[in-house]
Amino acid sequence: MEVHLSHSLQGEAAAREGERLIRACVHCGFCLPACPTYQLLGDELDSPRGRIYLIKEVLEGRGGVIARAHLDRCLLCRACERACPSGVEYGRLVATTRGLLAAQSPRGPRDRLLRWLIRTIVPYPARFSRVVAVARWIRPVLPASLAAKLPTPPPAALPPVLHPHRRRMLLVPGCAQSVLSPATHLSLARVCDRLGIEPIFSPGSGCCGALFHHLGSEEAALRQIRRNIDLWWPELQAGAEALLIPASACALMVREYPDLLARDPAYADRARRIADAVKDPADLLLSEGLRLPIAPPGRAIAIHCPCTQQPGAVEALFRKLGIPLVPQPDSPACCGAAGAYALLQPRLSNQLRARKASALEAGAPAEILTANIGCQIHLASGSQLRVRHWIELIDECQTQAGASHGVPTRGEANGHGREACPAVQT
Amino acid sequence: MTHPSLGSFRRVLAARGEQGDRPYGTPGTGGPSCSPREILRRLRGAVPGCPLLSHPEELRPYECDGLTAYRQIPLAVAIPESVAQVQEILRVCRTLRVPVIPRGAGTGLSGGALPNRSGLVLSMTRFRKILAVDPLNRTARVEPGVTNRAISEATSPFGLFYAPDPSSEVACTIGGNIAENAGGLHCLKYGLTVHNVLSVKILTAEGEWLVLGSEAYDAAGFDLLALLIGSEGLLGVVVEATVRLLPRPPLARLIVAAFPSVESASTAVGKLIGEGFAPAGLEMMDNLAIRAAEAFVHAGYPVEAAALLLCEFDGGPEEVDDQIELAEKRLRESGADFLRSSSSEEERLLLWKGRKSAFPAAGRMAPDYYCMDGTIPRRSLPEALLRIARLSEEFRLPVANVFHAGDGNLHPLILYDASHPHELQQAERLGRRILELCVELGGVITGEHGVGVEKLGSMCLQFRAPELAQFHRIKEAFDPDGILNPGKAVPLLHRCAELGAMHVHQGALPFPEIERY
Amino acid sequence: MSLQDQDLTDALAGEVRRAYDSGTPLSLVGGETKPFLGRSVTGRRLPLGEHRGILRYEPTELVLTARAGTPLSQIHGLLASQDQWLPFEPPSFGASATLGGTIACGLSGPARPFTGAARDFVLGVRLLDGRGEVLRFGGEVIKNVAGYDVSRFVTGAQGTLGIFLEISLKVSPRPPTSATLVWEEAPETAVRRLCRLAAEPFPLSAACHDGERLFLRLSGSKAGVQAAANRIGGERLAEPELFWQSVRERTHPFFARPGPLWRLSVPPATQPPVPGAGTPFIDWAGAQRWWKGSIEPAALWEWARSRGGHATLLDAGRSCLQPLEPALLSLHRRLKASFDPKGILNPGRLYDQL
Repeated sequence: MEVHLSHSLQGEAAAREGERLIRACVHCGFCLPACPTYQLLGDELDSPRGRIYLIKEVLEGRGGVIARAHLDRCLLCRACERACPSGVEYGRLVATTRGLLAAQSPRGPRDRLLRWLIRTIVPYPARFSRVVAVARWIRPVLPASLAAKLPTPPPAALPPVLHPHRRRMLLVPGCAQSVLSPATHLSLARVCDRLGIEPIFSPGSGCCGALFHHLGSEEAALRQIRRNIDLWWPELQAGAEALLIPASACALMVREYPDLLARDPAYADRARRIADAVKDPADLLLSEGLRLPIAPPGRAIAIHCPCTQQPGAVEALFRKLGIPLVPQPDSPACCGAAGAYALLQPRLSNQLRARKASALEAGAPAEILTANIGCQIHLASGSQLRVRHWIELIDECQTQAGASHGVPTRGEANGHGREACPAVQT
Repeated sequence: MTHPSLGSFRRVLAARGEQGDRPYGTPGTGGPSCSPREILRRLRGAVPGCPLLSHPEELRPYECDGLTAYRQIPLAVAIPESVAQVQEILRVCRTLRVPVIPRGAGTGLSGGALPNRSGLVLSMTRFRKILAVDPLNRTARVEPGVTNRAISEATSPFGLFYAPDPSSEVACTIGGNIAENAGGLHCLKYGLTVHNVLSVKILTAEGEWLVLGSEAYDAAGFDLLALLIGSEGLLGVVVEATVRLLPRPPLARLIVAAFPSVESASTAVGKLIGEGFAPAGLEMMDNLAIRAAEAFVHAGYPVEAAALLLCEFDGGPEEVDDQIELAEKRLRESGADFLRSSSSEEERLLLWKGRKSAFPAAGRMAPDYYCMDGTIPRRSLPEALLRIARLSEEFRLPVANVFHAGDGNLHPLILYDASHPHELQQAERLGRRILELCVELGGVITGEHGVGVEKLGSMCLQFRAPELAQFHRIKEAFDPDGILNPGKAVPLLHRCAELGAMHVHQGALPFPEIERY
Repeated sequence: MSLQDQDLTDALAGEVRRAYDSGTPLSLVGGETKPFLGRSVTGRRLPLGEHRGILRYEPTELVLTARAGTPLSQIHGLLASQDQWLPFEPPSFGASATLGGTIACGLSGPARPFTGAARDFVLGVRLLDGRGEVLRFGGEVIKNVAGYDVSRFVTGAQGTLGIFLEISLKVSPRPPTSATLVWEEAPETAVRRLCRLAAEPFPLSAACHDGERLFLRLSGSKAGVQAAANRIGGERLAEPELFWQSVRERTHPFFARPGPLWRLSVPPATQPPVPGAGTPFIDWAGAQRWWKGSIEPAALWEWARSRGGHATLLDAGRSCLQPLEPALLSLHRRLKASFDPKGILNPGRLYDQL
């Protein structure tokens, strides 16, 4: 589609980039059925094609307020990109033009406060865990919608007993995940141990940057990203062969580091190598984990594939491991969590969750498994079933089958484990 | 006074941001009887809970459908969710003489859902329920906003499917399919929408509920269903449809055959059909289209080939394997220098995916494209393609060809860049020349995309005044006030005269009384 | 082309124009084989059978265009010489049946549920409207969506909307092999059995039940027909051609039973019984049923309507179509008037005042 940049925007690099991205769109509408909000609302303005049109209007200097409202409703799940035959980079378009939009139609004070709160608390595990602790304590007086989001405190998970191995991988629990669901990375650590891989917990890493990025705080996002690179790089230098990130949204974000730092010569190269080192735990198990003994559960489970997860990977793994899955007819793609979306667009988010939950529960599964902390918390607050990360079930099934740790290959082969990470990184 | 060319005429309209002061398609209401503000107030009062968009920023994304060359901001957009709401909206609009433009997913390629400046866009996208699947009668009763793909998915547990599969089947709605009589990749064997819909419930412009067709195979009286299907939203608003389902063939296999020239591929098509092969689909792509599709799908198409034939057979395994073997032999004899037959369902779908995405994939090669839709007798394929290539050179615009070869339904895709001042105009002129060529070769101006606004001028090539007059009389029998989708599908008689494009039949001009300039 | 081929367009148009001017009703006559399909028409006879001749036929295009008065038998003969046929398998009810009469009556034979109806194969028509104006709709190509689909709309209107001058049809290669299977089946289970079979991906081309036995015709490649026949079972019927001809032409002994004949067009899975006595003959895999007997028409119409279909009494001169709902009838009248403003074309053939 043609775009005629408004005079005032012709000098802006972001506007020109936006124009270039929009010109790839031919307005065919193939993206419509892929979009969760369009499925729900049936309004062109809440479809990828309509949002691209709204951005086009902003670039042409005749829009803003309405564009922002509909772009705020976008989950950024990017299901439309997979459906687009013209190769429109929708996510990039939204990110590129976010600043222009903000300039044309500033947010109200209430909206700004909410976004500031999310930015200031959630990405920092120390702050976030304190807030969660307080929130649990005052749960009875919290609004019901917020109270529902609070997961019940996890049972004090036993730190795994790990063994030294020659192979090592960096294990990066996300900020929210490490607080709300520490069992996830502990399970991943045990599974690594059984594979003969020693998990290294990177000290002091917090948010991957996604929360800042999606809330439009580019500077804060880049600060956080550079900090992470500084922390992780030495580990890779020291021989860690990959980054394992249990939360799929964080993994996707780290894979996008090179794009975000492309113009920063000091970090571009390291960003690329770190992104290349990200390994999906499902891929790790698919390539190396099939040999471990496993006792599949008796009842079928339902898998929710997060929008940020490579489609089909976890399902493929489970099928190979003989873990029964329930069918999910008419299952919408997105559960409505989408990072801070659940807090910012509670009505739509809950509608999407209701649809997704009923599709997941349709086959009467024993529990729901997913690969991202955001989806996990969100779905858990809308389903009677247990919702957790899939790696926890794998860990459990391996434990039941009596899988032992891989052969220690480094130092004292005396069976003395060493205590691994603390449950919560600070 | 000089006669403006079609292209410049449209440019003038576009520059004014309107459809012109005089209607050029089917006559309309003559304009609403009260102010826009009053219309909105009355509509809000009539359907309180229904989203009604009226801010210019909200309206602009509705200004066009899949054909972006034509744009018009409507008065308002309504997104109702119940038939009662649609009925109320129609009642208000008829009383106030407000044009109503029904819209499905907006994937149409002829501007059938182009808004009217003083009209209401009636979006039917929230009607997305599959009301019933009846496996014994092999029917599905659906709301008009349901997509083709959704019907086939819902009926596949019964071993049944809905056959029409236009390229946009993932997104396009049954309501839109009915409006345009949509075809698809497999209509060579399974027919168009008109062959696969048993019954529709419509609301007339007067808000009256009519059932056309029946759940049986025919209905008493005239075949109103045949008239409604393909009527481009001019005769009624579809609120429900009962479609025919077919048993899913146990096996389908696809041959991809590459040819060193477009001519040899065209000849192969004639040979296959002439020898009694009955493929489920028979499609052709030229080199430009092959490369565009391959870049998106990575289906393994040979990107050096001048033309690619995709030939599918379906049915019982014995029959299919038999046909595939024979067809491969014939294709090789006709000059195919590369053959690949799908050996699994995944492979078949992947090989098809390139073809199905070919139009938008062309979006990778140029910022804009203009998709034509003429049909010609199959025997004229080589000549048509040759002459299209010449026209492409003459107009200096690349043309990718991707089309339903088995049906002789061409889809030349004119690639252009609308940001270059004259390219849209050139593209339109080239498109018109291609349609003239189709009519000259004994064909028609649109095989499955419909006339919309895009081919109003070309209608004058195919029909004479008496037929056009009869079309207008039919419209009047359904919609005497002309509120449904005015300005589409059938040109006004004076428009044909103004365009100077009418046939001259037996030496007599069809409209001697109309002044020409 | 035979010697009698001639183009009478001008003469016919003149006749209609004169009738239009004087307001004289016309009774359209082709081969006079199907008067029993509609109500009797009072008007001046306008014979159409002389306007005949096959105009274009190229086997590789799978399209045939002929003047409407062309005998159906001539078309069958020409197609057969190229191993092609009219897949809707129209009945003719006599040697003099014309193409125009067949399409005007929208007649389809036993293959209809599997290959399509007459209207599905009509690609284009040239016709005279009630003003004597020559109109051309559709074309000679398979796909065509320019303008309303008038060619299909006038199919089956029994001449009340226009007089066919030329008709273009889509034709098909004749399936190389056919076989008919037969077995005993009780009327109670026949409908369900037929529907189940039709929902399977078998190469079916006809399916009927005569009250005692179920007949299934398979058509397609030798391998396909053989494989399906093996899976389905039953016995092979000897002389299947004769049997299906008797179903198509309504010469099967069933049709000789006493009493007027009813045609019931219903969703295929509709369960018997029909109100009143007697076993129907089930064709079209359940969707078309023949029933012989005397009954108050309103009762049968109500039965058919309540099941989503319609019923027609076929009785020479007294044939009755299912009455239309008032809104639909008034739309019919407006459309009739748009083609034939003075109501001179076969008036009353379908309904009173239509």
